[in-house]
Amino acid sequence: MDGNKRRAAYGQQQQQQGGGAGPPQKRPYSSSNNNGVSASYGNGRGGGPPPSMPPQRHLEEEDDYDEDVFLEETLLRDAEMAEEGREVAERMAKWRRPQLPPTDRTKDSILFQQLDIDYVVGEADKEWLPSRGQAAIIRMFGVTENGNSVCALVHGFEPYFYITCPPGFGPDDVESFRRLLNDLMREHNKAKHGCSVFVAAVSMVTRQSLLYFQKTKQRTFLKIVMTLPAYVAACRDILERGIQISGLGYQSFTTFESNVLFALRFMIDCNIGGGSWVELPPGSYRFKSQQLSYCQYEVDVMYDKIISHPSAGRYGKLAPVRILSFDIECAGRKGHFPEPEHDPVITIASLVTLQGEQRPLVRNVLTLKQCSPIVGAEVMSFETERDLLLAWRDLIREVDPDLMIGYNICNFDLPYLIDRAQTLKINEFPFLGRIRFSKLRMRDTTFSSKAYGTRESKEVTIEGRVQFDVLQAMQRDYKLSSYSLNAVSAHFLGEQKEDVHHSIISDLQNGTPETRRRLAVYCLKDAYLPQRLVDKLMYMYNYIEMARVTGVPFSFLLARGQSIKVMSQILRKARQRGMVVPALKVQGGSQDSSYEGATVLEANQGFYEKPIATLDFASLYPSIMMAHNLCYCTLVRKEDVSSLPLESVEKTPTGDIFVKPHLEKGILPEILEELLAARKRAKADLKLATDPLEKAVLDGRQLALKISANSVYGFTGATIGKLPCLEISASVTGYGREMIMHTKKLVQERYCIGNGCEHDAEVIYGDTDSVMVKFGVSCIEDAMKLGKEAADFISSTFPKPIRLEFEKVYYPYLLISKKRYAGLLWTKPEKYDKMDTKGIETVRRDNCMLVKNLVNECLHKILIERDIPGAVQYVKNTITDLLMNRMDLSLLVITKGLTKTGEDYQVKSAHGELAERMRKRDPATAPSVGDRVPYVIIKAAKGAKGYEKSEDPIYVLENNIPIDAQHYLENQLSKPLLRIFDPILKNASKELLHGDHTRSVSIATPSVGGMMKYAKKRRSCMGCKAPLADEDNTLCSHCQGREVELYHKCVTKVRDLEETFGRLWTQCQRCQGSLHQDVLCTSRDCPIFYRRKKAQKDLAEADAQLSRFQF
Amino acid sequence: MFEARLIQGSLLKKVLEAIKDLVTDANFDCSATGFSLQAMDSSHVALVALLLRGEGFDHYRCDRNISMGMNLNNMAKMLKCAGNDDIITIKADDEGNTVTFMFESPNDEGNTVTFMFESPNQDKISDFEMKLMDIDSEHLGIPDTDYASTVKMPSAEFARICRDLSTIGDTVGISVTKDGIKFSTAGDIGNANVTCRQNKTVDKVK
Repeated sequence: MDGNKRRAAYGQQQQQQGGGAGPPQKRPYSSSNNNGVSASYGNGRGGGPPPSMPPQRHLEEEDDYDEDVFLEETLLRDAEMAEEGREVAERMAKWRRPQLPPTDRTKDSILFQQLDIDYVVGEADKEWLPSRGQAAIIRMFGVTENGNSVCALVHGFEPYFYITCPPGFGPDDVESFRRLLNDLMREHNKAKHGCSVFVAAVSMVTRQSLLYFQKTKQRTFLKIVMTLPAYVAACRDILERGIQISGLGYQSFTTFESNVLFALRFMIDCNIGGGSWVELPPGSYRFKSQQLSYCQYEVDVMYDKIISHPSAGRYGKLAPVRILSFDIECAGRKGHFPEPEHDPVITIASLVTLQGEQRPLVRNVLTLKQCSPIVGAEVMSFETERDLLLAWRDLIREVDPDLMIGYNICNFDLPYLIDRAQTLKINEFPFLGRIRFSKLRMRDTTFSSKAYGTRESKEVTIEGRVQFDVLQAMQRDYKLSSYSLNAVSAHFLGEQKEDVHHSIISDLQNGTPETRRRLAVYCLKDAYLPQRLVDKLMYMYNYIEMARVTGVPFSFLLARGQSIKVMSQILRKARQRGMVVPALKVQGGSQDSSYEGATVLEANQGFYEKPIATLDFASLYPSIMMAHNLCYCTLVRKEDVSSLPLESVEKTPTGDIFVKPHLEKGILPEILEELLAARKRAKADLKLATDPLEKAVLDGRQLALKISANSVYGFTGATIGKLPCLEISASVTGYGREMIMHTKKLVQERYCIGNGCEHDAEVIYGDTDSVMVKFGVSCIEDAMKLGKEAADFISSTFPKPIRLEFEKVYYPYLLISKKRYAGLLWTKPEKYDKMDTKGIETVRRDNCMLVKNLVNECLHKILIERDIPGAVQYVKNTITDLLMNRMDLSLLVITKGLTKTGEDYQVKSAHGELAERMRKRDPATAPSVGDRVPYVIIKAAKGAKGYEKSEDPIYVLENNIPIDAQHYLENQLSKPLLRIFDPILKNASKELLHGDHTRSVSIATPSVGGMMKYAKKRRSCMGCKAPLADEDNTLCSHCQGREVELYHKCVTKVRDLEETFGRLWTQCQRCQGSLHQDVLCTSRDCPIFYRRKKAQKDLAEADAQLSRFQF
Repeated sequence: MFEARLIQGSLLKKVLEAIKDLVTDANFDCSATGFSLQAMDSSHVALVALLLRGEGFDHYRCDRNISMGMNLNNMAKMLKCAGNDDIITIKADDEGNTVTFMFESPNDEGNTVTFMFESPNQDKISDFEMKLMDIDSEHLGIPDTDYASTVKMPSAEFARICRDLSTIGDTVGISVTKDGIKFSTAGDIGNANVTCRQNKTVDKVK
């Protein structure tokens, strides 16, 4: 065993690390005394303190005591754990959570921020609920202000739902109805349980249905309480199908609130929002005698004793949540993506950060086989994979993270670890949750939503720990051309990341401790980046705030769609009002249920060199719903219309009838009012706030409020949603259309020469919630004045709270077509704010960077510099560069995701075919399913299909294969360019695409291909390109006199290239974090990579040229 | 100065018709020996090597070696305007030091080539000017090779065989034996072989 050696290595790296691993004041063990700890271990458990022990010894002893209790238990299970394993456990112990403060259950309350709520079925509490058998016990996991973990087991909350009370049903029938229902349930379930009580209670309550306006407010409903949540659905089915009730005959029922998830039900009834603070008052709770979880506090409590605090003031903060960010590396075989059945896990990097702190608390890498030390991180090496995996499990237990983040962890890292452990038969591995003896569960899920598309994923349940996959959040919140970690961090953090291809990983692993160190560093970086992304994008704040605002658990935000958030708010509001929400059957998205959307006014195409004022409706759809009181409970059924007085109803543009607020105020308008008022408050607070953390929270909140307000409209229109109501959504868009037309009319009528204005105002374009007005004035200030005036005037013609706002002026403004425009945006007359474009940058993924750059540069020149000839010249130069093959290849790369293998594609696709070809060339580096395939279009035989012209950019670079510049010109550049230039130039196409500048081309000679096996390159004169008769010469007789000049040129060229290459190489070395090693990175997302390759090749060529002079 | 007068104008027309589908842009190299072109098609499977020797022209003058980049489609368009029995004259000025002087005289003679067509009875003269392209490409040489076999056959026959076989498959295999040459292909609908026996009228295998 090389335990000693390794310990020496640890010591060394601890010293290097210094105090860098975290704030020592918070931890009982600062990292500097780690040597002491491991040394003392050798003395044996009961041994006295070694002489060099630091003064915190006292604390340590307490900790040691706790640890003994814990260790004994683990030791029982892992009796065979080797000496070194225990040593590792010892090292990990210093990452524990802070000590529990002394807590007296009669005097102290437990206050914590809950993060995850789930439930288990178990024996009901004997003391509090003596007469019950099985019951659902809700578990709330959270963190206290001190950073202690809490698991509260909530008892006594039972699932229930409502049905309408059949006429003639009296209080006496309740018990018989319960028995009837219970018998039916037993019949239904007889195979499964021996349980006899399904329906716990039935009671008569007065409620009101949410759907449709009712004159008689209060109706009788039956509240049916079930014993277990799982029975709700079964019972609903029975009731919906219909039952025979003695005396009343055969009846079927509509159920209410039967589709509410149990955990959400609990949160709604106890008024607990997602991620909010919860208090267990003194005396209400009881410590568990035997802990079932790894949480520091584990308490039993009755559900009605819990106090929920609204998220404001002191309770607006975030607890010091522990976030674990991790990444694994696997040693794949050549040509295969790693598979858990074959390929070992070799490195696991873990970073633990306390929410709100800058530096991570723990930076750890677990490696297989020995690995050289890394500055600032702790390396632990293991000889077997089993030890490695178990060490990680122990690490998780010790650091006890509340939140696990990473990149693609849900679909790769976690399932891989679990499958790998299963393959290796490490049965004690998959216990990463907070509940003892509870194995991780994994299943395949398909998540499908209109807004986010369909995604297949694996779902791993880790009890008590919330998973937050940054990849999923990215895919949800941002439209990017590539979602690789590299591309995402380049986009948001502005830095590239080294990308080691998975085929090289095995080589590094099989090398020396030094090469394994590289791998470990790489892995650490991969674990660190998700954490940085979360920090940078303020995901914690935004998502927690979203959970608080909408009242759903944190984990729902990623795992579920928009509708659950709105549903949760409706349910909460309805509960306050004594309303119940019907459980509608989901209709399989029928076609006829679509309705007319928003209007887009015809665009008056052109390039406007006068200021264009933009008038926007502030939160259009929410304000329409508020202004016209559109809601489920204000919608009047067709048959009820006649019974209502005409002045108290309002007919919408689509012909639906809603009552006015004095009869019934809608729930949705009320929710929206609250959301918007809260947003206003948050924005006002944001202005006053000074603390950056508070600012982050408030900004996250106002954003969450805005998104939530806007999603209410979508909820009513989602035909496969929980509660679609097309009358509402169609009316909303109907009003929207009317308002846009009304605004247009009003502007043009009022601001015209006839009314004393200097010019006729013209509405040149309008979309959904905005109109663009050309007032005709040529000064920005005047346009702003008119804009403000018009906005105020028009606002006054609409019912409150609809407001037309004047926000900005575009000057100049290039209107290309509907949904496509660009302009320079001014909000104050002195200086423009930015260039604003819509629908133009062509962020579409099947475009190459060249298009984006060119379009941006052109717009910049046209709009900001006002230099149209300059823009034209720029386009021409770019096209010449393209034809002359001087273009940076990375600008031409197009990427597409490979979703299935070549044979499975119905139609041959460029990237699919290329992947197939690359596999034949080298299976090791070929892209596999799921990868994004980058390619460029190359020249091919006449009439070749598009898919035959794709080629791997690296292969192109290496073999000098000619790029099909014509294809790029015609298929990629021409359309976006002409779109921009058509309104500006006459004959744009002729001028830009067929001018003199297209008459210089370069034809590259490839080094592969049929003819090149045979023909040889012939040298030509370096001065005039004429073929040379004598190949040993450098120049033809004509150019002989220019020899010195040409030689000088050649030398300069080589020198320049050398410098370029040197710079690029160093840049890549910096990126990989070492200036002493070769660059391995083959990141196809990185522009530097292609430039480096290209510079390398150009240099080699130039060097060969230079050597021809034979000086 | 480059000047070449070709009595048999249809020759140039035919040559161009033949190569314009293979090659789109290429450099014509003019030297004392003749007017030549060498280019590969865009998929790099065919090499076109064309040489019109100076002796073949009625009048041929080439002061120094020059390369003229032309778009063959455009060139073909112009040559279409020549009658089959017209005399074609190709003229171009050599610009000497292209690199240094290009900006001073950017237009006209320097980058154009003039074709002159004269009808035999001299009653009509038309001239066309075409803008030249600047094509940066490398020269290829075909090394002297010892061939294992050499087959001579009528080009029309060869074209016919290829055309026929192309209806069956995408690729054609050519094998040569003492007895003759065999072309074979296979495709979805079946396969095909064409064997041409060696015959005395045209001599063969070396």
